[in-house]
Amino acid sequence: MSHEKIAQADSRWLDDPEVFRVNELPAHSDHRFYRNQDEIKRDQSSFVQSLNGDWRFSYAKDPMSRQKDFYKADFDSGNFDTIRVPGLIEFAGYNKIHYINTFYPWEGKEFRRPAFTMGPDQDEAGMFSKGKDNHVGAYVKKFTLNPDLQGHDVRIRFEGVETAMYAWLNGHFLGYAEDSFTPHEFDLTPYLTDGENTLAVEVFNRSTASFLEDQDMFRFFGIFRDVSLIAQPAVHIEDLSIKPTVNDDFQSGRLKVEAQFSGQQSGVVAHLTVVDATGKQVYETRSEVDSDVQLADTPFKTIHLWDNDNPYLYQLTITLTDKDGRTLEVVPYQFGFRRIEINQDKVIVLNGKRLIIKGVNRHEWDAKSGRVVTMSDMKQDIETFKKNNINAVRTCHYPDHISWYYLCDTNGIYMMAENNLESHGTWQKLGSVEPSYNVPGSVPQWQAAVLDRAKNNYETFKNHTSILFWSLGNESYAGDDIEAMNSYYKEVDPSRLVHYEGVFHNPKYKPTISDVESRMYATPTEIEAYLKDNPQKPFLLCEYMHDMGNSIGGMKSYMDLLDKYPMYQGGFIWDFIDQAVAVKDEVTGQKVLRYGGDFDDRVSDYEFSGDGLMFADRTEKPAMQEVKYYYGKY
Amino acid sequence: MANTNQLKVIYGDGTLGVGGDDFHYIFSYSRGGLESLVIGGKEWLYREPKPTFWRATTDNDRGNGFSKKSIQWLGADMFIDVKSIDVKVNNQLIDFPGAPLNNRYSNNEFADQIEIIYHYETLTTPSTTVDVSYTVTPNSVIKVAVHYAGQKALPELPVFGMRFVLPTKAIDYQYDGLSGETYPDRMAGGVPGVYQIDGLPVTKYLVPEDNGVHMETNWVTVTRNSTKNNADSSSVPFSLTFEKVDQPFAFSALPYTAEELENATHIEELPLPRRTVMTILGAVRGVGGIDSWGADVEPQYHIPADQDIDFGFVIKRGSK
Repeated sequence: MSHEKIAQADSRWLDDPEVFRVNELPAHSDHRFYRNQDEIKRDQSSFVQSLNGDWRFSYAKDPMSRQKDFYKADFDSGNFDTIRVPGLIEFAGYNKIHYINTFYPWEGKEFRRPAFTMGPDQDEAGMFSKGKDNHVGAYVKKFTLNPDLQGHDVRIRFEGVETAMYAWLNGHFLGYAEDSFTPHEFDLTPYLTDGENTLAVEVFNRSTASFLEDQDMFRFFGIFRDVSLIAQPAVHIEDLSIKPTVNDDFQSGRLKVEAQFSGQQSGVVAHLTVVDATGKQVYETRSEVDSDVQLADTPFKTIHLWDNDNPYLYQLTITLTDKDGRTLEVVPYQFGFRRIEINQDKVIVLNGKRLIIKGVNRHEWDAKSGRVVTMSDMKQDIETFKKNNINAVRTCHYPDHISWYYLCDTNGIYMMAENNLESHGTWQKLGSVEPSYNVPGSVPQWQAAVLDRAKNNYETFKNHTSILFWSLGNESYAGDDIEAMNSYYKEVDPSRLVHYEGVFHNPKYKPTISDVESRMYATPTEIEAYLKDNPQKPFLLCEYMHDMGNSIGGMKSYMDLLDKYPMYQGGFIWDFIDQAVAVKDEVTGQKVLRYGGDFDDRVSDYEFSGDGLMFADRTEKPAMQEVKYYYGKY
Repeated sequence: MANTNQLKVIYGDGTLGVGGDDFHYIFSYSRGGLESLVIGGKEWLYREPKPTFWRATTDNDRGNGFSKKSIQWLGADMFIDVKSIDVKVNNQLIDFPGAPLNNRYSNNEFADQIEIIYHYETLTTPSTTVDVSYTVTPNSVIKVAVHYAGQKALPELPVFGMRFVLPTKAIDYQYDGLSGETYPDRMAGGVPGVYQIDGLPVTKYLVPEDNGVHMETNWVTVTRNSTKNNADSSSVPFSLTFEKVDQPFAFSALPYTAEELENATHIEELPLPRRTVMTILGAVRGVGGIDSWGADVEPQYHIPADQDIDFGFVIKRGSK
């Protein structure tokens, strides 16, 4: 996209795979920034004003019947309903809750082929912008800037909106975004008024992004993560890149810190400190700020390594002060020293030791709110991991809530950070591999969209020590576009490994996609066959031990492979928590859990969403003791 | 009672009654099993214990088609034929004591040991036989021995055991075995010990399915505090123990039969819990876990139909 601002929204973007971000600010690291140390202690930045809460809302069953002018400054939203943000439109009662696995949610209702898969002139105009099943949520939020934000440049951040969104402020078009699970930021500054401002957001249930977001999960839409106004300090670290490296002796290392700044930088000084876990300052430096700067590049003579047993983190703090010595912002970030690589024996090693993944796949789930998870949910999940010797998580199959990454850093959870991508409905037809209209595949018009997803994932989360693997997505087959995602990660981040399983079904891409041989649900015999036949890459299971209902039998056969084959590195159990919805039983009035098909939702895959080690109410299934035993043994 | 060191035997027209010090058992000829088990004045049976062959389909069973392959065992679990009954007194087989042959007995018949053997024939194609023997001794202990005759042409079994339906819901059960819910292919994490489980919890899998199995059990004591006897309003707890003979056994204690679980698509559809279904298991199929859409349970955790299965346990007064 050009950097020039686009002033008018266009509903045809919903149909166009080449339009996925309009006027969005570039993705950047997820560092938080504060006015002073006291705000850090309280974890409350006065630069941030939350817009969570009650918003005005109007629902339309399709784009044709929506109120097209609701975003205008003089529009009277007095007859709108009220909806909770963050929240899902289905949970608010406007749209049917629907669970389906592989098929697209319009199976049996709409005939669709992704644009350009049936030919270079098949642009499928109107597929979504006029889609009868493309429900629309119109949101309006009125706000006045907190005094702390006034006088600053201000942007708005949406941390998660499914599936495609347009935004306006006071009638002015802000921008358009897809990629439901990464943050979207738009600059509000030119349109803000001192008094009341009117924010309008139009959320579409479907767009071309729907083809890329066919994850096996309940299908929802709406603003499901936090929305914030963020004031920009006069000079601000726009992007931060922390690169700790470990030397070959595993006792010393090096720290590089780079930053990109915004604002008028003359005379501004960046003061950087590193404090170890005992509170002792181990490094300090000051530098003059200019547009892009290396803030630190320094050897560390002795380092504490970070791993699951001892997630040792150093506290980095960068303080920007102006020429008069006034603090402009303080940026804290915790980082660890750890080194992940594949050694000469083709074994993945962490800090020189063979990595054993005792992992789970984790969908974000809360039975009471669906995809809207709370801090308490996340903390509970970490506790469950620790208690049951789970050391790794795959963010299946999209980036998670930002707090989850911080929790994994501090708790030593090895993360496979997956892109928001799954398109199994385009190549898996009733169990057979049939990629006739696979996207992204090698379709040129789909490549930029998936590369953008890779970039959003990398740029946002790059500083998290817990991330050992970038994962290109799930079950999306393989072609030039996923190959390009692989190259992207290799280029921007040689310090981590890249994972992708789907190349198994199109092996000619194996040399250029994925550092590891990854499979799902391979039997122990199949794994052994691979490992005995001159294996080229270390092996892991991105999904195994399918815990649907009463399951997890035969885990021993997988764990035994760890003893026999160093190149077998373990895997991620499918999955962590049942996806089921808490409702009041219409007959008895008691609280019960419901699954696919229970909402008159068709076509459905019914109870197939219930594969967790935890029940949907976050109590453990009996099989957990088996997992705890075997994961504790290695 | 004239002699508490011996069993009193009632050679009834339709049943064989066996009693002693504060206990009385009645074996039915027409109903094909033990009809009454009274200890301390409390009835322990709602219906006659029968061999059980079915487990409520698990998600993995459904996914790999096992329930379809083994569907005959569902029918066998619900209905079974009794072909004949043998009675042994003091280890000697006697002529079957039905009417009028039983006119030779009196109201003062005693024995040191009574054994009654039910010879069942399964309603499968082909059929096979199951023999269940109850041996009663004057100390009130019942020793149960169960024999399944292997039959090559039958499909693998989901489970094999004896199902006891108790008249009211238990308040708790205590057992000496492994922690948690365990299956042959999922028991490494089970910690040996004595555990008490309050109520009769059903594991709340999204779709009700087989659950609550405890492998490697030395004994289980089930405790109730209510009866169906209109003249008994006591709520003092009373117990019954199932104990291993040579080999540990597996069991489940649930308020539902396999068929009740099988019928429900959600836990809230299950009937209100009112009874206790104690299932003592001689063979349990693994649950599997490789996937839920086709992968079989590992071969060593199957129950082949062509091999004999023998297991036993004793039933005795609970000491809780």
